[in-house]
Amino acid sequence: MADTSRQIFTKGLWSDNPVLRQILGICSALAVTNLLVNTLIMGLGLIFVTAMSNVTVSALRNITPARIRMMVQVLIIATYVIVVDVLLKAYLPDISRALGPYVGLIITNCIIMGRAEGFARQNPVWPAFVDGLANGLGYTLVLLAVAFVRELLGFGTLFGFPVMPAGFTAWTIMVMPPAAFFVLAVLLWTANTWWPKKA
Amino acid sequence: MKKRWFSVLYMFVLTLVCTGLLTGIQEVNGQRIEVNRQARENRVILSVLLIPVPADADNARAAEIYAQRVREVRLGGKTVYQGLGKDGTSILGWAFPLSGPGFWGAIQAMMGVSPDLETVLGVEFYDQNETPGLGGRITEAWFTDQFAGKRLIPDAKGRFFYLVSSPEKDLENQVDAITGASQTSIRVQELMNDSIREYLDLLRNAAPPGASPSLGA
Repeated sequence: MADTSRQIFTKGLWSDNPVLRQILGICSALAVTNLLVNTLIMGLGLIFVTAMSNVTVSALRNITPARIRMMVQVLIIATYVIVVDVLLKAYLPDISRALGPYVGLIITNCIIMGRAEGFARQNPVWPAFVDGLANGLGYTLVLLAVAFVRELLGFGTLFGFPVMPAGFTAWTIMVMPPAAFFVLAVLLWTANTWWPKKA
Repeated sequence: MKKRWFSVLYMFVLTLVCTGLLTGIQEVNGQRIEVNRQARENRVILSVLLIPVPADADNARAAEIYAQRVREVRLGGKTVYQGLGKDGTSILGWAFPLSGPGFWGAIQAMMGVSPDLETVLGVEFYDQNETPGLGGRITEAWFTDQFAGKRLIPDAKGRFFYLVSSPEKDLENQVDAITGASQTSIRVQELMNDSIREYLDLLRNAAPPGASPSLGA
């Protein structure tokens, strides 16, 4: 029996969370999580792209020839990513500069193609939209958790506001990519030990 | 056979639709993006020439100040920027771009120098993709402020500046490097020295030492 919207949503957000349960989208999880603001914008971009490409792939699912479906998926995903990039450059130039090449790299985020291939191409438009939204949100929340730790310890700030007492020594390692491995690993460990995935 | 042709046609049409959509969006926003880019560059040029822009000035106001106080001069295929005094004729200094590869990507900076081309007025790094918190700190004031007031005299190795971990105050060419960002520091040093040499040559040739550089008039 097909899942209800609520079930699809819970799966993407938690029980099948792309980062915690499927270990997808790790490259960008390492790259952008040293500042909360960058992480948030990256997450919003990913939510938009995953939801919209899911909708499009789903809408075209009955006429897309199976043999070229992956080309079609990449084309659709790339189109939405460029839309995000152009809009950021036009309306949020500072954030666009801070994210640099990472926006373009949303195209290669495995979560998006994973959802297009694993869900959207076999399901109607509405469930595909919910699935894309939930997976994007699931990704964003995990990345924000990682960024929270990294920004707090690496800069002594949260969203740019200083929160640590004066004299706090920033942990340089937290700013560098290896720290994302440590923080993410601890999160994965915690999530999968305390709330193991039901078989 | 028929299936294969359908696939080709399908992909062709879909690509056409997607590129059409993107062209449209780019068309609608292109001007805005260009204005943002230009506004940012204008502010950087004003800042390194030490021409004050009120903190609350919007892009239009900054552009107005820029139009009054900066003259763009083409020299040997490159653009340099001449900073003008409030009267619009006296010369405050020159600004030119510093650019080259960084650790992760290209670095763009702007440097302002005095009219006699001997003293640095200011430096600002405005486009870079270095590691935030490490190499990315080249944009911070503590780093860029070190250059202001330094004399542009090359040392025995022809370097205007070199980055070291603990600079000695009286050594004109030494600048404090960024801890934990050796690669960025090395590349910044290289791109600064190369660009400074190139643009000083350009400016000196256009206006021989001693003569007041009044080109572009």
